[in-house]
Amino acid sequence: MTVETPKRGSLFRSQHIFVASTLTPIMLYMMFFTLVPMLWGVAITFFRYSPTRVGGFLGFGGANPFIGVDNYADLFSNSPNGQLFRISVKNTLMFVLMYLPLNLIVTLPLAVLIEAVNKRLKVVFRTIYFLPIVTSAVAVSLVWGVIYNPTFGLLNMVLRDFGLKGLPWLTDATTRVFGIPLPMLCVLVTYLWSDMGYNLVIFIAGLQGIPEVYHEAAIVDGANAWQRFRYITVPLLRSTLTFVIVMTMLSSWQVFVIFFVMTGRGGPSNLTRVLVLHVYEVAFRFQEMGLAATVAMALFLIIMVTTLIQLRLLRKDWEY
Amino acid sequence: MDITQDSLTKVNPTKRPGRIGFIASRVVIYALLLLGCSFTLLPFLWMLSTSFKSATEIVKLPPTLIPENPTLQSYQTIFSDPRVPIARFYLNSIIVSVSVVAMVLFTSSLAGYVFAKYQFFGKNLFFTLLLASLMIPFQVMMIPLYLILVRLGITDSLLGLIVPGATSAFGVFLMRQFIENIPSELIDAARIDGASEFGIYSRIILPQMSAALATLGIFQFMGTWNDYLWPLIVITTTEKRTLPIMLTWYNSQHGARFDLTMAASVLVILPIVVVYFIFQRWIVRGIALTGFK
Repeated sequence: MTVETPKRGSLFRSQHIFVASTLTPIMLYMMFFTLVPMLWGVAITFFRYSPTRVGGFLGFGGANPFIGVDNYADLFSNSPNGQLFRISVKNTLMFVLMYLPLNLIVTLPLAVLIEAVNKRLKVVFRTIYFLPIVTSAVAVSLVWGVIYNPTFGLLNMVLRDFGLKGLPWLTDATTRVFGIPLPMLCVLVTYLWSDMGYNLVIFIAGLQGIPEVYHEAAIVDGANAWQRFRYITVPLLRSTLTFVIVMTMLSSWQVFVIFFVMTGRGGPSNLTRVLVLHVYEVAFRFQEMGLAATVAMALFLIIMVTTLIQLRLLRKDWEY
Repeated sequence: MDITQDSLTKVNPTKRPGRIGFIASRVVIYALLLLGCSFTLLPFLWMLSTSFKSATEIVKLPPTLIPENPTLQSYQTIFSDPRVPIARFYLNSIIVSVSVVAMVLFTSSLAGYVFAKYQFFGKNLFFTLLLASLMIPFQVMMIPLYLILVRLGITDSLLGLIVPGATSAFGVFLMRQFIENIPSELIDAARIDGASEFGIYSRIILPQMSAALATLGIFQFMGTWNDYLWPLIVITTTEKRTLPIMLTWYNSQHGARFDLTMAASVLVILPIVVVYFIFQRWIVRGIALTGFK
């Protein structure tokens, strides 16, 4: 740390002036755009609130009346909004629970495989697998929409070429695979395609951090490739795994663009209505900001609770 | 691990994979990796190939991966459409992304420097607040943020996209981590030589952080360039749209013309893909280091 016991008062003062004059505006700016929205966001959950109506101070009161916990009660009621909210929670939960294992099953083995090839090829593979991450999610959704298109989409044209019948992939309300609606499954595949490079890169970095000696010792002990993966790689990758699991779940709870662009406003029979989509619709299509902020609070709570549970479950007490 | 009698006897030289086994395992590894690569590349190739097809070829059976009569017609259609001011959209995206990146780099490095190298009242409290704000998802903030923009009167303007993004809690955190590793002796020496505090920041600290600044800058640029939800909320006028918003709007107008929508998609992702290939190493290293998304 810097000069903590200054020898000259003027030097000390100039440092304090510097800290005060640089950090104060930056911190005030950040607080204005985080703390203020946070408080405002909590406050409007207790109002029937819309910026299109005239109210008192900051729009509160007047045509935006205080309604207590009615917005929260509404989430559990039988109103159309309550039902849509619960459908969104169910859909998002299904998406998150499907996506996490799917992602890990693909990215972890793929990372191990990439680690096994020589250095120059490793860079090539990594570069290619990471490409979808930098691509605009809208463009990703559009090209996959073209692939899934029922009449002239690549998938159905290939199927028809083989004499099979095509499917209305993104609009099919009845077909289910293992209980998962077909449109949800299609979005899952697209999301995996667009997102796997991220975890892949983190796993590769984690694998490079495992000391070579453990593998060598295992080979001397006669362990085969699977045993080395199961009993050396996976346990020693634990902190990386924890990070990946927590981050993947966090981001998949917040999924929006892909669902919004590929399946529109909730897809067939609201089968692909996810939470953020619901928040967006209630807030900016129906202009019911109070209600939407309440749904957003519920999302925040869900994310916090799942993250804390995961961190608790995945805690480790050792280091290498 | 101890080498015991038991473990030694398990090593059976004849059973260890020989040359053929080694080659076979290599073949399997490369086959799997190439399979994964084709899964990753196919949608890109399909996008590119469709954008060079004519309106009649996109509906032809069987589908062709390489266009039979490659044409630039779809691109010409987009560029010549007076209702689609594509240059304007590019300019909007560039203005927003460059302003946000410049401001985030400046505020993050300055605040990061102060947090790393100065002692002051409330330092820990402020830093904890900063970290806590990282935990709040954007989706929770977006409604009240929009309400703030309404009060400031900057909805439906590029300013509305730039102003809330001018600082980054993550950026401050990242910069602080980097600056902590710069020896304090360097700063003390500059101070003895009579450098001002801001002079130390701009002439001693900044030049040492080009790698960190580049990493943060690239990520911020990609994030802002590809951002969709926030501009979707803020922007309503056609001329103020950024590229991703233009893309969904264009798709809603020409949904059945895959050649046009794919050409528009290529136009949107092209700049970012170029940036990616130039800075590829830094991006991948940055992710591995920070876990930033």
